[in-house]
Amino acid sequence: MKVKTRLPHLLMGAGILYFLVPLLWVVVAATKSQPDLLDSPALWFADFNLFDNIGQLFREDDGAYGKWLVNTALYSGLSALGATALAAAAGYGLARFQFLGKRLFETALLGMIMVPATALVLPTYLILSEVELVDTMWAVILPSLLSPFGAYLIRVYVDESVPVELIDAARIDRAGELRIFWQIAVPMMRPAIVTVFLFTLVATWNNYFLPLVMLSDSDLYPLTVGLTTWFNTAQQEAGTRMLFNLVVTGSLLAIVPLIVAFVLLQRFWRSGAAAGALK
Amino acid sequence: MLGTTWLRKLRAGLAACGLLAVAACGGAGGDDGPVTVSVWAWYPEFKGVVEAFNASHPDIKVEWTNAGTGADHYAKLKTALTAGKGAPDVAMIEFQQIPTFIILDALVDMGEYGANDDKGLYAEWAWKQATDGDKVYAIPVDGGPMALMYRKDLFDQYGIPVPTTWAEYGEAAVKIKAADPNAHIASFGSDGGWINGLMWQAGCRPYGYSQATAKDQVKINLTAPECKKVVEFYGDLVDKGLMAKDPFFTADASAALDSGKYWTWAAAGWTPGYLAGSLKNTSGKWAVAPMPQWTAGADEQGDWGGSTFTVTKQAKNPKAAATVARELFGKSKAAWDIGLDKAFLYPLVRDVAADPAFTGKAYDFFNGQKVNEIFVPVSEKLGEFQFTPFQDFVYSELNDRSAEAMSGSRPWSTVLEETQKNVVAYAEQQGFKVSK
Amino acid sequence: MTRSLPITASEADDPPAAPVESRARRRSRRVTAHPVAGMLFVLPFFLVVVAFLVVPLGYAFWLSLSTKSLALGTRFSGLGNYVRAFTDPVLLDGLLRVVLFGLVQIPIMLGIALAGALVLDAVTTKFAMAFRLIAFMPYAVPAVVGALMWGFLYSRTFGPFADLPTLVGGDPIDFFSVSLLLVSLGNIVTWAWTGYNMIILYSALQGVPRELYEAAVIDGATPVQIALRVKVPAIKQAISLAAIFTVIGTMQFFTEPQIMARFAPQISAGYTPNLYAYNQAFAYSDFHYSAAVSFALGFLVFVVAYAFVFVNNRRRGKRA
Repeated sequence: MKVKTRLPHLLMGAGILYFLVPLLWVVVAATKSQPDLLDSPALWFADFNLFDNIGQLFREDDGAYGKWLVNTALYSGLSALGATALAAAAGYGLARFQFLGKRLFETALLGMIMVPATALVLPTYLILSEVELVDTMWAVILPSLLSPFGAYLIRVYVDESVPVELIDAARIDRAGELRIFWQIAVPMMRPAIVTVFLFTLVATWNNYFLPLVMLSDSDLYPLTVGLTTWFNTAQQEAGTRMLFNLVVTGSLLAIVPLIVAFVLLQRFWRSGAAAGALK
Repeated sequence: MLGTTWLRKLRAGLAACGLLAVAACGGAGGDDGPVTVSVWAWYPEFKGVVEAFNASHPDIKVEWTNAGTGADHYAKLKTALTAGKGAPDVAMIEFQQIPTFIILDALVDMGEYGANDDKGLYAEWAWKQATDGDKVYAIPVDGGPMALMYRKDLFDQYGIPVPTTWAEYGEAAVKIKAADPNAHIASFGSDGGWINGLMWQAGCRPYGYSQATAKDQVKINLTAPECKKVVEFYGDLVDKGLMAKDPFFTADASAALDSGKYWTWAAAGWTPGYLAGSLKNTSGKWAVAPMPQWTAGADEQGDWGGSTFTVTKQAKNPKAAATVARELFGKSKAAWDIGLDKAFLYPLVRDVAADPAFTGKAYDFFNGQKVNEIFVPVSEKLGEFQFTPFQDFVYSELNDRSAEAMSGSRPWSTVLEETQKNVVAYAEQQGFKVSK
Repeated sequence: MTRSLPITASEADDPPAAPVESRARRRSRRVTAHPVAGMLFVLPFFLVVVAFLVVPLGYAFWLSLSTKSLALGTRFSGLGNYVRAFTDPVLLDGLLRVVLFGLVQIPIMLGIALAGALVLDAVTTKFAMAFRLIAFMPYAVPAVVGALMWGFLYSRTFGPFADLPTLVGGDPIDFFSVSLLLVSLGNIVTWAWTGYNMIILYSALQGVPRELYEAAVIDGATPVQIALRVKVPAIKQAISLAAIFTVIGTMQFFTEPQIMARFAPQISAGYTPNLYAYNQAFAYSDFHYSAAVSFALGFLVFVVAYAFVFVNNRRRGKRA
């Protein structure tokens, strides 16, 4: 196929510039001291201060940033693991079994996907405070286990890529259902599982509203809430505490792990996304 | 030290709360030893104040949490109070929020624990706002008596007299524009608290509420002439382009103050400290003058901001909590040394404010001027001023309606009328009987 | 905007409800497993759904049926909160603002995403691969950090853009002014979500059988003609699904305006319906009214999304 490629490349070049400039700004700004951040040209380097900023970042407020980083990793890791496990089992169960109420549940699943997540936060807060879980890590993790879309995706994927014959054969060999799931189905579901895991990981890593409402102890904050707190303080105190540079450096360090994860795992999640489309 | 408590919290969370044993989680067991009192506050440099308190009170241990600044802090506090769990024993609350928390039935009357003895300790206006009759709901800490900050070097250079009345302030605005077309006399920040302070200084007393007298009655009169003249005066300056429209407390606003874009700011007792750290270019070029008056020769004053300590109804040991609220700052010299020199609070403790160490303090930022000589008499002069039990709503209305006026979608003359209308509707919807 | 779940190409070609069911029916004869085992697989997920979806929704609805006023305390009010919500000018203004925002922003964003996906499908150079990766990166940036970043970039003190017009003697741009605020917010959302949508549409395009347009190529159709006449119709379903999820996200618009309010105090308490619900609960302590607003909003989103799916399925059904 012959394709005139000059115009598409020009457009893609413009796109790269648009998507990249803000990220470049963070990288450049993270190397600046607070006075330079306010005074020097926005998209070019001033004195190289990145390592000082990082050092200060981890010292400020008795090492609050380090705690937030660990909290974020813990919350999103546990949530993603749990949500993926639940979704994988449920998706498999729906795709490969018949039972009473299954069709009703499947129809409801589609409805669940459309329930706005933020509408749930407030009543969940009131319920969790009844069982004294508010202001603990569980207040962030437990609600994040809910992933109707994950279950739906896996259900569709199993339908396409885990042959019924294989499972029936295992059943004839008297293998237990759990063993069939674990040893036969899960390996075949891997791309879908990686996809669901990565996307729920991002969703929890980036979540702001839920932890904002659930947590008041700053030791338990994730990065999103912690950085916003610092930014507010920086604004309120007009920069007396030299926090703007920390907010910027902290933002950079908060983004890097996810971008690295997506780039490194590109093959997995893209095949997970694409495999579902191939019939 | 803090690092280990954080780890302990995480470990406790992981260990004690299995996914299935959900109900078993929560309150940790109590150790013997000093009574622990939890405090939420967002004062700068507060850690040292807490350490000083703990060192001088072996029977009480204060555990401090910074749960956010301003709105974030109140949001969490109100949520915890609604849920009936999770609020601290002692909470920092700004003056305008006190009636709001009283009506939420959130505050302990510290009068029962002898707090009425502190009455003479604090500036009179502040004590009045913190109490309702002999019920002591809050212990004042810092305030924001208002005065006019101005660029002395520029006023001198262009021979503009420092305004003593608002009429002169308007004339100065014209001269400043003539001197530098890019400059403004100040910015109108559409900040509800600031507008409120200006109205207070104009003799406007728009709100009235006393739970002790009548729980469901509130006075709202934002359309009184003393209130309207303020908004219309400032609105006129904005419409003529003499006043900028940038919000306060942003990096852009600091930059504008620091670059000669604004020549004045009707600011408060806490602003010297607030600005001294950030305005590097114009340090030493600013001075403070008393607020311009609406009537020549008058001495009307206003306040913008300030905060207190309160004891919440969720306090496990209200007596100990009341001690913490009264003595974290109170008469503690160690606390005020930090509060004045590092956190730049304006003290509402009269002895601290009258101390020559405070009044005689020369500020490099103001080229050696002893600015507290101006702020202290203002605080002493301030009279009674009440707030509504839904002041967040009022400030948000003032803020939003004046923002509309600034964007040109509403004439300034209707800002307070619309605010009055909306606030009254809200109050009635909330079950109040409203009087003017 | 919060959106917790990915759309991938899989369901793009898999219209919800009908086809899934028919396939299940087709294979049902061969599924010979014990129903109890199947239920046990679904049970943990079901419990989480009950605990964190059904119960909270029910609780919110129950809350919304009573009113708590500051002066009078709590009393049952039936649908009173809903009457108040649908006549509340602040809420209606916010709703209108979000709808206007969506009407402009969603077509722009999906248009760019679709164009990008078509280009990616036709051009397979290294440069195109780099573009694909870079366009997707903003998805990994938390909405909070994205909004802070753009806040800095818009600011006159920190950012490079506001003062650009002064180079040619113009006035600096105030990105936070009332007139530009929605555009500034729209740009943040577009930046964050275009790449994500592009990848979904691209994955869908990759699933389109080549035979479908090989005939057109032989007939001498240009790549643009093929893209518009063959490829776009072939992934219509994926486009509508991307649109539905974007609509859901837009109706819930919260994080960006909430963060942006720190740069632009003109963002009022009721700027978006979700922000209004938040402020009703957390600033004005009115959990009951807040629940009603959330519930009404959720219901509206639900109805719109379901109607969208329904209409789409029917249209598709007729064609088939």
